[in-house]
Amino acid sequence: MAIQRGRNKYTTPKSAGLIITSLIDFFSIVVIYLMKSYSSEGSILTNADNLVLPNSVAITKPKDIYLQVAATNDMVLVDNIPIVPTDDIRRIPQDVPDPIVAKLEEKLNATYAQEQQMVKLGALNKIQGNVIIQMDKNVEFDVLFKIMNTCGKVGYNNMNFAVMEREQ
Amino acid sequence: MAKRPAKMTDEAGGGHDLTIDLKPFINFLVVLIPVLMLSAEFAKISIINLKLPENRGSSPSIKQTKAPEQNDDNKLLLTMIVTDSVVTLGAKGGFLPSLFYREFHKYVSREDRAVEVTVEYDPSNPKKQFKNPKSGKPFLVTERQEILLYVTDENRNIINCLYTKTGEMLTDGAGNPLKAAAKAGDTVYILTNPRREVVVTDPGQYSLHPLSAYDEMKNRLMKIKQRYADVPDANDIILAAENQVAYDKIVQLMDVARAAEFPNIAISKLRS
Repeated sequence: MAIQRGRNKYTTPKSAGLIITSLIDFFSIVVIYLMKSYSSEGSILTNADNLVLPNSVAITKPKDIYLQVAATNDMVLVDNIPIVPTDDIRRIPQDVPDPIVAKLEEKLNATYAQEQQMVKLGALNKIQGNVIIQMDKNVEFDVLFKIMNTCGKVGYNNMNFAVMEREQ
Repeated sequence: MAKRPAKMTDEAGGGHDLTIDLKPFINFLVVLIPVLMLSAEFAKISIINLKLPENRGSSPSIKQTKAPEQNDDNKLLLTMIVTDSVVTLGAKGGFLPSLFYREFHKYVSREDRAVEVTVEYDPSNPKKQFKNPKSGKPFLVTERQEILLYVTDENRNIINCLYTKTGEMLTDGAGNPLKAAAKAGDTVYILTNPRREVVVTDPGQYSLHPLSAYDEMKNRLMKIKQRYADVPDANDIILAAENQVAYDKIVQLMDVARAAEFPNIAISKLRS
């Protein structure tokens, strides 16, 4: 112990400088990584926890804020407000040629009326009928079809499917 | 490394500290990182546009399956039909041979990302649950990472095809999938759009894997696109699906159709 103490006395520098080279390396890597995922537009679309969007090679970004219809395994939401349980949609007979989800239609009619009102006020040029459909990838086609049919019936003809961009 | 600057100060003798003062740089980085973090986009969400015609009634089923009244003589009316075991291409003239497939689901455990299981899905028993081998609990539907469709022959044996290391399918000059290992000097075509011609130099670069129904469908669609480039509806395709087909498969097939240059996709329902 005595020898060690003696050696320390001679080698300890007067000011102990912090070695920050490795810290700077780390920061530089983080900055480069963050710059890679930088987006000036921000994300218009966000998805819920229990909603797994399918992966796709599509790279089109949503430009505007559209009406959002989200369908999870349990619930269908319009602009994040729960409207109708998905099981209710599944219960609509499959052989109906023109299946309509009544509660969803009611809600969509209300938003469509709002859009019409905005056209009257001059806030919009014309009714665009845009809707973004966010569907869980494990929901079956039957539900999608009934939702699409209802949207089309109300007047939302320009449908967009939200997908997760596949990493290249 | 850290000692060298100190030595230099000694040699200089004047007592000037020659180390670079990194504190302002670190301050700068500390500010920059939160700014970049705020505007970073980790999960990129994009959209697939599906514009339905406005003046053809309201029901998509009627819109998409009913042939338009005027000028439909030259039209191809290409339709892709998806059921739980078959993908088929049909057009006005008839149907191509069906692609029978077996469906495999890849599950990745949420608690432990290292647990990856690929199991075969039985369409006749859709409610069957698969157990996580580590925890013993059944996998949740949300843990299903990927749906893999492998093409089979009439006896439900999976057909193998040559793939590159990056997962691109190889075909011969006529566009048929290569089912046997390539020899050095063979000319093969990689399934990109347009096809890339490659002369095999090292056969070890390619290996046999189960033929994916998505790849074979892309291959067939590209052949059709090449052959019927002049029809009025050369960019159109109708995707007709059965009720129980998962939405994921529909999106993947839409990707395939767009990769083969059929951007105008309409969705229709297959009536059983």
